[in-house]
Amino acid sequence: MKKGNGGITVRQKHSAYAKEDNIWGYLFISMAVIVFCVFTMYPIVNACIISMQKYNPIQSKWVGLDNYNGLLTDKLFFKSIRNTVVYTVLTVPVNIAISFILAILIFPFKKWMQTTFKAIYYLPAVASGVSLSVVWLWIYSSLPSGLFNQLIGIFGLESQNWLGQSKTAMFSLVLMSWLSSHGTNVIIYIAALLGIPKDHFEAAEIDSATFFQKVHYIVLPMVKPTTLFLFVTGIISSFQVFMNAYLMTAGGPDNNTTMVGLLIFNNAFKYSEFGKASAQALILAVAIAVISLLQFKFMGDEIEY
Amino acid sequence: MKKHVNLLSLVLVMIMAATMLNGCGKEATPTVNSSAAPSSIAPEEPDTIKALLPPISNQFIERLDKVQAAFHKQYPNLTLVIEAASWNDRIEKLDTQVNAGTPPDIAFLGSELIAKYVNMGVAMNITKYATADMISDYDAAPLKYMKNGDGLYGLPAYMEIHGIGGNKEYMEAAGIDWKKIQTKGWTFEEFDAAVKKGAGVKGANSTSKYGLVFATAGTTTKNFIEIFAKNAGMPSEFNSDIKYVYTSKKFLNVLTSASKLIADGANMNATAGERWNLFLTGQTMFTGKGLATFESSAKANNAKLKAKDGSAVAGSVPVDYVVMPVPTSNGASPAYYSVVDGYVTFRGKTAPTEVHMKNVVKASYFLASGENAAQTNADLFAVNITKTARDAESKYPIEREADNLASVKYLMANAAPARPEIPSDKQAKGTKIMDEVIIPKFQALLAKEISPQTMYDAVYEAAVAAFGKDGIVKD
Repeated sequence: MKKGNGGITVRQKHSAYAKEDNIWGYLFISMAVIVFCVFTMYPIVNACIISMQKYNPIQSKWVGLDNYNGLLTDKLFFKSIRNTVVYTVLTVPVNIAISFILAILIFPFKKWMQTTFKAIYYLPAVASGVSLSVVWLWIYSSLPSGLFNQLIGIFGLESQNWLGQSKTAMFSLVLMSWLSSHGTNVIIYIAALLGIPKDHFEAAEIDSATFFQKVHYIVLPMVKPTTLFLFVTGIISSFQVFMNAYLMTAGGPDNNTTMVGLLIFNNAFKYSEFGKASAQALILAVAIAVISLLQFKFMGDEIEY
Repeated sequence: MKKHVNLLSLVLVMIMAATMLNGCGKEATPTVNSSAAPSSIAPEEPDTIKALLPPISNQFIERLDKVQAAFHKQYPNLTLVIEAASWNDRIEKLDTQVNAGTPPDIAFLGSELIAKYVNMGVAMNITKYATADMISDYDAAPLKYMKNGDGLYGLPAYMEIHGIGGNKEYMEAAGIDWKKIQTKGWTFEEFDAAVKKGAGVKGANSTSKYGLVFATAGTTTKNFIEIFAKNAGMPSEFNSDIKYVYTSKKFLNVLTSASKLIADGANMNATAGERWNLFLTGQTMFTGKGLATFESSAKANNAKLKAKDGSAVAGSVPVDYVVMPVPTSNGASPAYYSVVDGYVTFRGKTAPTEVHMKNVVKASYFLASGENAAQTNADLFAVNITKTARDAESKYPIEREADNLASVKYLMANAAPARPEIPSDKQAKGTKIMDEVIIPKFQALLAKEISPQTMYDAVYEAAVAAFGKDGIVKD
């Protein structure tokens, strides 16, 4: 064994450096761990405890699984789950498809043009959700002066109460998502497209592949990890949708746009039933986790990140 | 060198992490407040009272500093700290503070919310801390709204009666004797006939499109139910036997009335903003709900139109706003829906001291009476409900039509009485049925997706589930 200064072996010297590096490493991650524990783990643990209480700011009462049992017979809870699933099924795949198509269309442009389009599509994500909802409320106004009613009026159709009728209320929220939620997805897809080796396309050109064949046989398989990621994150955020329903329809009409997120909010802050709200939130969290796991299992078999 | 770089980086990361804890700090100046330990304080020792207030009137926020200074001048050892909140988020802000165990001492709320906070155990009973002089200053009716059971949980600021607003020009053109109705009331059949006449009435500057525009979109949905149900023989959600009344056939009649109004041309889908816009632009004869302050708003817009001020509502025409009572139905006596907003008092996890509670009452009374109340109520066109405010009201004159003032007095004389004896837990269940069943189903009814009978059946089922078959009215 080669010896360094002071009789310390090289291996011992490297081991000392490694230990010192380890200490610094732990110190650096400790900050993130502390923040995670304080702002994520502690609220989750607290929510679990509150979900088994009839919560009161002065003195809570332990009720065990009563809050969970109550949910089994709560028709509104099941309706909200149904509404949330419908909203998710209608928005997530369509939004991903629209984002993918936009990314494919933007991709051939020069870099400065790509950047311009990315910025334009990302603008709604930067704008305040409340401001967006106020604008959409005007667009969906039930009066003939509402923008959509003016548009359909051109075709001789009657003004609609877009947010006040069951047949159009959910569609109105879905349409709002279709038209304004693509910025992040487009940017991620373009980054994925940039990662596809050019020689694949050259080989396809040699084989006289058409545009759609290139997309089908090269692009789609190569961006599959990105698609899976966007599906998982899209479903997670769509299951937690709250602001649109809260600001635009307040869950109506007839609770047909009451999502689970809005129901949790109402139970917590309108009725001060924090125990019930916590139970609903935990069930939602478990549902999201299970769906994400299933997605990774069925869609992510061949994918490695 | 590497160590120094690592150390510097670590310090920067810690600073970044520490900024996340910024909002978690306590007050810089330790003061005795409702969440402090119950150490005894002498009556003359410094004390701070915290109040969470929305912009009660447009001018109220501008006066906040003066209000706080005036309070401190009257009580040199007391400091009133006012936290401003918007109308939209004041309840969420209050609930967050309540659930954290550190609510403000005073919050400006509708009296209908007192039961919720009594149920949570955070509303502070001030019965033994309000002096006899304070109590005797108030009119009995609005003060009763601030009670729950035997306790008094705050002091009222004003009492507003919800009615219907009428366009004077259109009503006269349609041959409606509005002056008589203002102080004698009318039945639903008379109102419906007027609504039918109200579309297509020609005025000097405009022609009406609707007989009635009633805001029911969003949070205003329950306004129709509340104000019409009260005048249909159901002045409260619970009758004198504390049984839930919306299972009565009278409630079915109210729902049928709503459908009839829609069939007769009323627009019942507007938002609050649209409702008022349509009134000011001369597109409707009646608007609902109608508040006293609308007369002030209409006059202000008329003045702008006269002065050719560009900030007048686009497309608006001069309109004379007339206060009209809500019609009665089912042969019932009038019981007009009263909204009493006031300064509700709170306690935190730690019980406040006796001296602090007396100081909180002093602050509530200061805000809810005398010049403060007179000035705020003048902004709102609301009638003063304390003797001291009435004594001070000459300093804040308001230009009000004599007919409207007479109508408001008639409405207040026939206001639905407060029911503080209704247990808070029953009120909480009633609120839940209103929010989870009545409002959603009413939205579907207005969209003509369900019939009044279907809605009534749903309310009946929910009421039986909440109160049991013995806890509801059965016709």
